[in-house]
Amino acid sequence: MSTAQEKLQAQLDASFTPQLSGNIAALDQILGKSADMQQRDFKLCGSSEFPGVCCFVDGLADASIIEAILKALVIFGSDLHRDPAAMPTADDIQTTLMVNASAKPCGKVRDGIAGIVSGDTLVLIEGLDQAILVSTKGWKDRGIEEPSSENNVRGPRDGFTESIRTNTAHVRRRIKDPLLRFDAMVIGTRTQTDINIAYIQDIVKEGLVDEVKRRLKGIKIDAILESGYIEELIEDAPLSPFNTVQSTERPDKVASALLEGRVAIFIDNTPVVLTVPTFFWQFIQAPDDYYNRYWVGSFFRSVRYLALIISLVLPSIYVMLVSFHHEMIPTSLALTIASGREVVPFPVLLEAIMLEIAFELMREAGLRMPKPIGQAVSIVGSLIIGQAAVQAGLVSPFMVIVVAITEISSFAIPSYSSSLALRIFRFPLLIASGVFGLLGFATVFFALLLHALSIRSFGESFMAPASPFRPSDQRDMLLRMPLWMQNQRPEFAQDQQRMGEQQMPRPPKGG
Amino acid sequence: MKRAVGLLITLIMLLTQTSCLGLRQINELAIVTAVGLDLGDKPGTIRVSAQIIRPADARGQTGAPSGGTGQPIYSIVSDGTSIFDAIRNLGRISSRRVYWAHNFFIIMSEDYARKGIKDMVDFFTRNHELRMNTWVAVTPNIPDEVISTITGLEVVPGEAVNRLFQNNHVVGRAPASDMMNLEEAFLSSSTEPVLARVQLMPRGISNLKPEEHGSLKQVELGGAAAFLGDKMVGWLNVKEARGLLFFLENLASGIEVVNCPDGDEVMSVEFRRAHLKVTPAYENQEPKFRIRLTTEADIVESGCSFSLGEGVRREAEEKLEKQLKSNIDSVIDKAQHRYRSDFMKLGDVFRNRFPEEWRVLKRDWNQTFSDAQIDVEVNASIKSGVVKAVGTDIR
Repeated sequence: MSTAQEKLQAQLDASFTPQLSGNIAALDQILGKSADMQQRDFKLCGSSEFPGVCCFVDGLADASIIEAILKALVIFGSDLHRDPAAMPTADDIQTTLMVNASAKPCGKVRDGIAGIVSGDTLVLIEGLDQAILVSTKGWKDRGIEEPSSENNVRGPRDGFTESIRTNTAHVRRRIKDPLLRFDAMVIGTRTQTDINIAYIQDIVKEGLVDEVKRRLKGIKIDAILESGYIEELIEDAPLSPFNTVQSTERPDKVASALLEGRVAIFIDNTPVVLTVPTFFWQFIQAPDDYYNRYWVGSFFRSVRYLALIISLVLPSIYVMLVSFHHEMIPTSLALTIASGREVVPFPVLLEAIMLEIAFELMREAGLRMPKPIGQAVSIVGSLIIGQAAVQAGLVSPFMVIVVAITEISSFAIPSYSSSLALRIFRFPLLIASGVFGLLGFATVFFALLLHALSIRSFGESFMAPASPFRPSDQRDMLLRMPLWMQNQRPEFAQDQQRMGEQQMPRPPKGG
Repeated sequence: MKRAVGLLITLIMLLTQTSCLGLRQINELAIVTAVGLDLGDKPGTIRVSAQIIRPADARGQTGAPSGGTGQPIYSIVSDGTSIFDAIRNLGRISSRRVYWAHNFFIIMSEDYARKGIKDMVDFFTRNHELRMNTWVAVTPNIPDEVISTITGLEVVPGEAVNRLFQNNHVVGRAPASDMMNLEEAFLSSSTEPVLARVQLMPRGISNLKPEEHGSLKQVELGGAAAFLGDKMVGWLNVKEARGLLFFLENLASGIEVVNCPDGDEVMSVEFRRAHLKVTPAYENQEPKFRIRLTTEADIVESGCSFSLGEGVRREAEEKLEKQLKSNIDSVIDKAQHRYRSDFMKLGDVFRNRFPEEWRVLKRDWNQTFSDAQIDVEVNASIKSGVVKAVGTDIR
């Protein structure tokens, strides 16, 4: 630790003194003359005997609340001032003058500074050895909007925002259970980011909350800018492309995760909330499944499973068949493929990689560009790739179809971050099947499968309930069974019973 | 870490040992869809002809233009001392690697078949690239001509022949013989091979010169070639082939034309749900077969100038029975007395029923079979005679 650091720590550890000028000097030393630090002088009860200073950060603190504080201190303080000789205590001021929801005396400089930088106002008065910290947090927040990365047709339209309190409120509004807990933490030596861990006391698996806390406490980092930081520092398989922590922008998804016995991690300044433990199959499940009729939900879930398989293996299978296993293609299809490839100068593998990369480029470019230009990119890109490249004899029309179907399938996966993982897996599969044929494809595919089976998420097998096989959890894995059949919570939850038996609705008898 | 590296090296070595590195792009292959076998000009040589697809012309040009000639196929022929030699010699002509896995059809000339097909069965079953569901046929024409004959409906002639064979059960005039059942009959001691007969007939009508009345040659499937051992012994005509099909493929339906009860007019009868049952017997050291064909039938076309009453129906039944019996009799007669070859799988039936006796008889089965007594019985019942007869109402 440098000497500057040591000096700073020493200054922070000091207590406030009755001398106002000394306190102000101490604050100025620590905060410097930062442009956004405001100091407003006032006279308590209008009396020059008790000068005081309000310290706050412009922009973080709500000006109207500060006005109310000043009004109380300056005008309504006359009750306290009956005996001019008697010094009012910090407690007196707090209990009689402060009409704010939250105000507390604070003796340490460290606490005062922490309050100021998080938007509170520190009130210093001559003659008091304690300062008063008044909650005046009130910066502009983004309105509640529909999450952009997780769209649903039926379902609530509200999404998380950057404010952690708004986000926890979203969940509290949905679960009015007194046993819903939010445990607070602060991570990041410099960013001092607020973290809340949410769980329902009697549903969550025993030990899970402690484990989450243990991992969070283990984080020693200067900054947490987004939930991705936390995700990367607490996950079980840090080297795996699979994400073993689920992230979502939807409050209904978090609520359902909590009700299934999971733990949610809220991080300030990000609309993305993490839920653990995470299972592979969750990436295929969308909230829509549960809001629509179960036939519809099951059908579209199976469509998504198909999309998962296609987006993972279709290009590899095409490349494998066309370069090694020609006998496996029906004759007429083989002829069509051959005629399309007649003038293509590259091997199929190279063609596939070229086109895949072109699509990834277009996707990335469309994403990074300003919105109106982003659309132009995709139009130009699809025109060039789809039409001109085929006409020029660079790629075969079949390859365009294969890659297009693959890309569209990958967009059908509800979880954005896991669809990215699948995109990445596509390339080793593609190369192995282009170099070694079916054997290479099988090898890499099984290596992937073994890897997915071997990893865990907070002590639970990633591929559960498929492996280890849990019969009662199957009702919500491949198919979405009717709600009245899913009367049990997932097996890892503490309290299993979700609803009463025999909930299947029926018309009254004899009607 | 050490383990991971070891595993990786093992995997790479395993993969490269499988010779999977033989990468070939699909457009670098000469896809053969039909192959012809004939005797070469020089004695002791074999002539192989192959129908190769030109994908760009067979499927239309997708994408950039490639030099097309407008012809969907490219047929080449080469000679060699053995089949494989001849095939390797094809490589001297073909610019692309000849690829056999999509072959639909193997056709042999009559001369070749009469000399023996042992080599051919051996080669086509031994080679891993060739499929076992390839159709096999014998032609009295020159195979080169048959495989290079363009049919009007399909772009790829091989595909046309493939469809001919696939839809064969509707017509029921030739056995659908593929490599699988050829090999099965060839290896079996209790039965002899029989292959379909394919010939070129001037049946196609040219759109440009319709007045030439069917001048274009087309491939026709009908009849069969009977074998004894690996040598072809003779032809079966379409009538005999119909009889044969009851034995080989349990032909269930077909059309027979029979005379009207009282005159020269004819009516068409469609038999349905035909079922042939062969019952072997062994009496006095002699095998005996009782063949019983039961079928239902409909009158589907009637040129008869009277209404179809109950008596007429009975009479039509008898005529149909007679006709079907004559089909079966004719093929049995040919098999027993002309070719002395049991290609109707009667030996199979006998062996299954009398395995002990078979051990004795199998040595000289074809002779025994030729002398065996075979009784044929046909039982037809016309269920409905609903047709519009001339001058009467619908009955």
